[in-house]
Amino acid sequence: MSVEQRKIKKVLIANRGEIALRIIRTVKELGLEAIAVYEKPDSESHYIRLADDAIMIGERPRKEYLDIDKIIWAARKTGADAIHPGYGFLSENADFSAACEKAGIIFIGPPPQVIRDMGNKVVARKIMEKAKVPTIPGTGNLAPGDAGIEQAKEFAGKYGYPVMLKAAAGGGGRGIRKVKNEEELKAQLPQVRSETRSAFNDDSIYLEKCIESPRHIEIQILADHHGNVIHLGSRDCSIQRRHQKLLEIAPADLPADVLESMYDAAIKGARQVGYVNAGTVEFLVDSQTNEFWFMEMNTRLQVEHTVTEELTGVDIVRQQIKIAEGNVLDIPADRVHMMGKAVQVRINAEDPKNNFMPEGGKTLEVYQSPGGPGVRLDGVVYQGYRIPTDYDSLMVKMTVRGYDWEQTIQRLKRALNNFLIVGPKTTIPFYLAICDEPDFQAGKFDTSYLETHEEIFNYPEQEREVAKLTKLIAEIHARKTNPYAY
Amino acid sequence: MEKATNNVLEQRVTPSELREKGAKYIIDKIRRNKGYYVTNTERDLSQSDFKNRIMPHTQLLVARERNNSGFFSLEISGGASVHIDMMRKQMNPLEKVQVLAENMPDTLFQNLCRGINLFGYRPYPENVIRLTVKSFARYVHVWRVFDFLNYIPNMLAVMEEVKKAGCILEPCICFSTGPEHSNEYYVKKVGEILAVTGEDIILCIKNHGGLGTPRRIGQLVKNILDKYPGLLIHYHGHNSDGNDVGRIIEAVINGAKIIDASDHAFSGFFGPPPIITVVDTLEEYGFAAAGLNRQAVVEASNILRPQREYYRDFESQFLGFDPTVQVHKLPGGATGSSFEQAVKGGFLSRMPEILQKELPRVQVELGNWWSVTPGSQILWTTAVNNVLKGVRYKDASDDLKNLMLGRYGELPFYKPADEIYQAVFGTDWQNYVNCNYCYQKIENIDLDVEKKVLERRLGREATEDELVLYLQHPNDAVNFFKFEAKYGKTWILPPQIWFKKGGFSLGEKFEITDAYGKLHAIEIGPQRKTKTGDAVTYFNVDHHPEPIYTEMEQDGDGRKGSGDQLKKKVSISVKELNDLAKAGDIRSQMMGTVSEIPVAEGYEVSAGEVLIVLEAMKMLTNVISEINGKVSEVMVSPGDKVELGDSLMTISKA
Repeated sequence: MSVEQRKIKKVLIANRGEIALRIIRTVKELGLEAIAVYEKPDSESHYIRLADDAIMIGERPRKEYLDIDKIIWAARKTGADAIHPGYGFLSENADFSAACEKAGIIFIGPPPQVIRDMGNKVVARKIMEKAKVPTIPGTGNLAPGDAGIEQAKEFAGKYGYPVMLKAAAGGGGRGIRKVKNEEELKAQLPQVRSETRSAFNDDSIYLEKCIESPRHIEIQILADHHGNVIHLGSRDCSIQRRHQKLLEIAPADLPADVLESMYDAAIKGARQVGYVNAGTVEFLVDSQTNEFWFMEMNTRLQVEHTVTEELTGVDIVRQQIKIAEGNVLDIPADRVHMMGKAVQVRINAEDPKNNFMPEGGKTLEVYQSPGGPGVRLDGVVYQGYRIPTDYDSLMVKMTVRGYDWEQTIQRLKRALNNFLIVGPKTTIPFYLAICDEPDFQAGKFDTSYLETHEEIFNYPEQEREVAKLTKLIAEIHARKTNPYAY
Repeated sequence: MEKATNNVLEQRVTPSELREKGAKYIIDKIRRNKGYYVTNTERDLSQSDFKNRIMPHTQLLVARERNNSGFFSLEISGGASVHIDMMRKQMNPLEKVQVLAENMPDTLFQNLCRGINLFGYRPYPENVIRLTVKSFARYVHVWRVFDFLNYIPNMLAVMEEVKKAGCILEPCICFSTGPEHSNEYYVKKVGEILAVTGEDIILCIKNHGGLGTPRRIGQLVKNILDKYPGLLIHYHGHNSDGNDVGRIIEAVINGAKIIDASDHAFSGFFGPPPIITVVDTLEEYGFAAAGLNRQAVVEASNILRPQREYYRDFESQFLGFDPTVQVHKLPGGATGSSFEQAVKGGFLSRMPEILQKELPRVQVELGNWWSVTPGSQILWTTAVNNVLKGVRYKDASDDLKNLMLGRYGELPFYKPADEIYQAVFGTDWQNYVNCNYCYQKIENIDLDVEKKVLERRLGREATEDELVLYLQHPNDAVNFFKFEAKYGKTWILPPQIWFKKGGFSLGEKFEITDAYGKLHAIEIGPQRKTKTGDAVTYFNVDHHPEPIYTEMEQDGDGRKGSGDQLKKKVSISVKELNDLAKAGDIRSQMMGTVSEIPVAEGYEVSAGEVLIVLEAMKMLTNVISEINGKVSEVMVSPGDKVELGDSLMTISKA
């Protein structure tokens, strides 16, 4: 593969919030210029101030960041020669990658065809099968109407219920439904199809054997334009709520030979698809037998890339830019050390007890964050920050590294306790409850963890008596009289 | 038969004796011992001279000394205190007596119960009365029971339950002066009580106004004992005219066995006089205080004295004795609050006219019965209205109407004159009164339903104690329960924190022992105002930083207030309000609390129908529809505080 080397000078970050800031940080470390884009509601966001330049791309929240033309326009306008898409928004949009290419702007990510192939689950399966990567038994895209139902019934007859109904274009936990019997299948199939149509503008759906309570393990890979593919180890993302990751750990606690086979499978798969740049191959792992199956490949930077960075010392964003410039990967496998354990928690302004209801509109009246050994923070919040109503409620990602699992949990707990937040409810007490949970401490968890450990949600909301008294003293102080006494 | 004793410790009466040997044993012991016993009337002291605000923290400070004092009893509950405990001290009145009992195990607790009106201001259903007495009787040993009309049927349910609970029953004759209030009348009244209760009671002469001369009280005691020689008499008085020591002396000389007095460090003008003064004087007359440890009483006051400054705000606006009480007859327990209302209502300058002219006149016109709760409030409100409105008996309160219709019981001496009825009920009064005159029998309510309503309001299960409190003061009880859930048991806070005005200083430190016995160090740090005008105060709690967010009300300079909210501060005349009411825009004509809303959105109402019942100054007032129509919107709900001019309801004209 011959690729011209092209030095990047100015990177436009087609994203917002913490990930925009994360990318800006590396761009600046490389001595390059960072350009932020923003929608109007984001005009006071923190990440903008850390960029060298910023450009408003429109008024509508969550719309402009998805508008390819506007992003390309912004890149042209600011003279950016590369675009980093971050995660979410346009990061896995093949048309965007293609539009960049067409505009002569370097897209920091895989080529359009790779994104397109991996974005369609059925195509992705086929490619993986070709590469001899184990895949979950499943159907191709189901035929429309009753024929599809017949196909599905036949598959279920062979592999048994439950089965998973999946949208070929789905992702991020959306467009997936578990079906327990034939009746449910008949009822759900048309429904999922219509949901899928409205959500992804593509109503292809297929069926997969359901792996009950698997572990969700993923392998981070890096691939350059010269055919070099390396892995950066594994991540365990099993602790999820309705397929949304909450807490991620690197590396996964699996026997070395299993991990080796997974690395091997991930690299083979990446080669098969002609992968370039950073990507993640996700596997389902049977918690009993450690058998694993390819689930999907994410063709972008992951939210949880931080754990891998902390564990390996490799700056993934830096590697993405280097790869995009056409450089040869300069990380020899023997220099990727993996010492200890790293865990990332997403500290959201949400009420875990109330179905993780976002606390949008509330203000961080007080915000103090932890520090000290082994603590990394990726966030854009500060005292006075208002939780947006237009965007997600992620405040800060905290990644904690320790020498072993025990120290990592202890450190995580210590650091969580060192947050001082007044204003919105947060996921902190929820993570603290997980830290104290014996199965978590013993490393025994799979994707059913939250369903099987409901006691985690019973963390004490009961304030200490003295905290209540102090609340009254504060009120007497602030109002200059006790409204409950006079 | 047990013998009399001179040993001070043996003379004492205690809760364990009551438990083990019963009420009759204690009554007999007092009968046979020489001398007299002392009740420390802290509740009435607090109510009369400190607007009921003496805090549990202060009571706990002297618990040991008071427990060592050897009182017959400590009056610590009942009267208005049950309500104020919840409303202004944010304490469960049952928990208060429970906590104090743990700290004062050798002292009988006493209360004051308003008979059918319990600890409130109007009659309760019998099942509520029985449940309430049963609940309080776990901690309150001596029950002083009265009715403001001396109408014995109003006391029956309480008295039965007190006996059933094994407590000491102390029925009262309310005392007043005037032509009808002869000793013969009172002796006869005592006979009526004894006919119901039997002789194993303590009879209280309840001189809530501190009326009459020492000579008169002495004669009354003598006349009663001449007729009922074995009867234990407990004299309760107030020192409003400065002469209650004299009345007490005469009462004891003539055979009263228990008297009321209070800690001198806190004694004021309208409550009971100082214990030591009474005891030392009687000593000279040859009467010893049975069981009393004089030194412990002095020590209690030594501890209490430095606390008094924290209660300065609650001492009467009107300082000094008031010998004119013999004319206006306001009970000591209502004197302080009357002056408070006069100051708040801006009519302090008219008090001499109200107290010395109108109030005595109203009393005579309405039947010369006893000025004590709830009658004292009826008299007071009527007199104030008469003076302030310049028209007598206009817009009479429902309580006055009920009283005049015999709802609360028979008037003891005479009914008001026809012209008073006419002024209150209008030209067609005769017809109305004939149709409506009767004793109001309050039907039992479904306690299970009430409990469910309470639980719905709290969003959780409620205990029986909570139900008991809710049944008496529904809105204030619910507010208190919510307060407690949010702020915890704040009654442990010392008065210098609880009543603090003007904020604390930076770096100020407190050591606080919480209700569970844990000691905490709290330090006040800097305070910051947020963009929205709220406050964040940085505390050090047990040496850890603890920033606390305080949401400030939408008041002051209208920081958060929208135009509409600001508008309501604009004054509005009664005429304007009446015009609005005729247009169906129902607004509050007063500052008060929504007590009840008998209608709901969509109801058809006709002119004269009650739309909302408001409560202010302990009195209920009906908001009446001026028009026929349909309720289109209700803006308030029970418990809401409303100001003059606040929108309450809209009626669309039929």
